[in-house]
Amino acid sequence: MASISSALIAHTTNLDLVIRHVLAGLGQGIHAGRERGSGVEFSEYRAYAPGDEWRRVDWKLLARADRYYVREAERDSHVALWLVLDASASMMEPSRSIPGLDKLAYARTLLACVAAIAQRQGDAFGLVVLSGGRVQFTPAARGPRQLQRVLARLNAAQAEGALPDAAALKSGLRFAQSPSLVFAASDFLDFPSPLSEALLRLRHMRHDVRLACIQTEAECTGGFDADSAYRDPEREGGVFRFGADLREGYLRNREQHFSAVSAACRAGDIPLVNARIEQAPGEVLRQWLRQAGRR
Amino acid sequence: MAAPGGAAMNSLWWLALPTLLLPVWWHRKKRVQVAAEPLASARFLPRTEPRQMRVWRWADVILMILRCLLLACLIAWLADPVLPWRGHTVVVAEGSDARWAEQQVQAAGFKDAARLSLPAAEALAWVRSHEREWKPDARLLVLGDIPMPAELPQFRHPLELRTLAKPAAPVEVHVAIVGARTGEWRRLFSALDGPLRAVIDDTPGAKTALIVWDKPEAPPASLRAPLWWIADAAAFPALATAPAVDGIRYADSPHGRLWTSSAWPPADAAAARRLLETWRSLHAAPLPYTAPSHTFAASKTPASTHADGALRGILMWALIALFALERTVTHARRR
Repeated sequence: MASISSALIAHTTNLDLVIRHVLAGLGQGIHAGRERGSGVEFSEYRAYAPGDEWRRVDWKLLARADRYYVREAERDSHVALWLVLDASASMMEPSRSIPGLDKLAYARTLLACVAAIAQRQGDAFGLVVLSGGRVQFTPAARGPRQLQRVLARLNAAQAEGALPDAAALKSGLRFAQSPSLVFAASDFLDFPSPLSEALLRLRHMRHDVRLACIQTEAECTGGFDADSAYRDPEREGGVFRFGADLREGYLRNREQHFSAVSAACRAGDIPLVNARIEQAPGEVLRQWLRQAGRR
Repeated sequence: MAAPGGAAMNSLWWLALPTLLLPVWWHRKKRVQVAAEPLASARFLPRTEPRQMRVWRWADVILMILRCLLLACLIAWLADPVLPWRGHTVVVAEGSDARWAEQQVQAAGFKDAARLSLPAAEALAWVRSHEREWKPDARLLVLGDIPMPAELPQFRHPLELRTLAKPAAPVEVHVAIVGARTGEWRRLFSALDGPLRAVIDDTPGAKTALIVWDKPEAPPASLRAPLWWIADAAAFPALATAPAVDGIRYADSPHGRLWTSSAWPPADAAAARRLLETWRSLHAAPLPYTAPSHTFAASKTPASTHADGALRGILMWALIALFALERTVTHARRR
């Protein structure tokens, strides 16, 4: 079950389902549980929301009020998670082997899984979607409602336009001062870019920044159809051709670019996971999360 | 009726049929630009020129068919084709005795043949000019009081002509007799035999064809008729010097044509008959002579090129419908 295939992502838009499948094979926990949860320090009742654990429902109160209430406990986790989704046009790139699967869907799944884990651990999490030159910001919060909100935002994200410019990013990524984790999923085809600079800046502000570089199998191996013409979805003009004669040059250029990306990440002390969308998301996720424990 | 030359020109329009190739040519797409699909990592590839593939592909087949049909229809309309569609036919001259015609049809074995009613005088000429409408194995039977043609006609189909002379219909001619000797003139006209009948009026009217002027006075200037018989030429000085034929002097005047003779009204029966005969031969249409029954074998005379546009109406409607359809489809395709 750990290796749930990427085909599931292609077949369903139900992120809940995918998260359950992925996390079922993943085991528990990102970081050592700063226990929140049920009943250490009771703080308040709140109405039941779908996704709450049944054992936290106060049954006596149900008997009295005929309504479901959940006992909220004081939480002591102060870690906030920030999910950054690159939804620029290049994320529309489909897998050439699995129909219906594209980079955006894969990135969306990874981030949704991280959000679900954060919710289970009681961490606050927020979402930043970069699409069409704009920054769409969802403030950090806790709880199942927040998870539903974030999943809905993720689902609504459309791959279009280019990444926002430096100014927009600067105003958009004004995070809390508290230490936070930043999970950014992008294809990093633009590097250095306003996004990479913003992430490096966050790292310098001592946030824990982790990058997932989303690629397709065909991109890595140069397995494109030689018959069709191609255009760059984010840049104007020009038609590109692919063929056996151009493959070596393509791989060389690509290698050059991504080694620069890796070097920059290493220099900035930012862990980078290279994910191919044909890979099982569980493996990638484990890798992405594990690196945190290493430090 | 189109002139033979015109009809021959018509069939030249068929040579325009190769224009049908034009829409076919237009509707074959020669070059198709290769559609560029987005590729995120295209930036690692060298830029190339947009490639065009040479592909022969049909575009808008329905529109092409419509346009071809439109052209074909137009050419057919111009060429005005004649389709052989008539089978065995009985041509019955108008006004023939129906029972006699039925007997003849039974006798000639044309029981199932189509009937066609034509004016007797034009029947044979019409059949000759429309002969292309008959199928090659068709036989024809022509019945009725068919006048004899001047020369023996030839037909491409076996044609049987059965005639029955019909008593000629009486023709009435209005005659006005003005003058003293009315009785004598009336006697003269009552001796008229044959289909021509004289109706005697006392005063000339619009229908009067002949005025017998038996008075010394001149007629009023407004009085006109095609023919005047003047018994007393004193009032018509023009007749005095007019040429004479067979004892009758004749002249043209503002009143009409004038005849006069000093021996009028005719005294004896022979003179009266001569006058009436002269009148009838000069002023009444000759009586047709009924042709004898005859069987024409099929001959190899060239077909007449006459085409009277029997298909033109249908073709015109088809043309309009096709044009409307073509416009509609073109418009729909643009949107």
